[in-house]
Amino acid sequence: MTRILSNEYNLLTARVFLGVLLVVISIDKIADPASFARSIGDYRILTGTPAMILATVLPWMELLCGLALASGILIRGSSLLVGSLLVVFTLAVVSALLRDLDISCGCFTQDSSADRIGWLKIGENVALLALAAWLFFSENHRFSLDEYIRSRPPGS
Amino acid sequence: MMRWRTGFREAVIMALCASVLGFVYTGITRKGVFAAEFSRGPAASRPGEQSSIIHVDEAKELYESGRALFIDARHPFEFALGHIRDAVNIPLGEFEKRQGQIDSLPRDKVLVTYCDGVQCNSSIGLAVRLREAGFQSVRIFFAGWNEWQARGLPVTKTAK
Repeated sequence: MTRILSNEYNLLTARVFLGVLLVVISIDKIADPASFARSIGDYRILTGTPAMILATVLPWMELLCGLALASGILIRGSSLLVGSLLVVFTLAVVSALLRDLDISCGCFTQDSSADRIGWLKIGENVALLALAAWLFFSENHRFSLDEYIRSRPPGS
Repeated sequence: MMRWRTGFREAVIMALCASVLGFVYTGITRKGVFAAEFSRGPAASRPGEQSSIIHVDEAKELYESGRALFIDARHPFEFALGHIRDAVNIPLGEFEKRQGQIDSLPRDKVLVTYCDGVQCNSSIGLAVRLREAGFQSVRIFFAGWNEWQARGLPVTKTAK
């Protein structure tokens, strides 16, 4: 098990998968922050200006973390930030489910008829959280920009 | 410990960069908080919208006269839980998808948009979109569903 978890190819696959996923899901939200703010508002936790500010910043966090993970730079910080965001998202979904809200997650698409919240969504988030935690605690990121920069001889 | 410290420092840097990029991008493209239709409340909205905001008494008068059609801008789920009697539901987020329904709205009536109340802006957003779609007589009942309910005015509840 330890060997699988520390295998550099597995880590590369996980990093690129999570990175590309984050980049892809951020595009829609960046293009239409007002629509994303409405999705945030649907959770009845934040509305109005706070929701709009969150909708302005959050997609860029996803994009930057995605690019950083895919290229292998600032891996620790990106995975920590992604993990923290996933914890918050999961708590929001749980709270909405406990309040019987039948709303769209707003995670992958801004189409309000698709991507409904449910226990499956929580499972999805937990799986992604495990991936982020794995990347955060791993040392062996051989195929990464961080490692490339570190391994270059000084002065080159 | 070192791992957490490095991670935390990098995460803060990324969050700051994301904030700067987010605000610069929305500022340049006039989206999100910088969009014209976005307002922090009725006082900050455009002069046109400001003048078309109606209070509960005026909303009640329009309702009773039968000259108005009330349009609920909230999520269908909330609409199903309860809405102003005879209101139709056009969630702001589904405006494009509801083109058929929008085309069939009466042009000889005053369209009154509403959402939950002062904590939401979708009534304003919907009114802006309806005006852009060519509807001249649009009013915003900004106090919305909460105030209507509190006054004991006619409602319909279609779900639990």
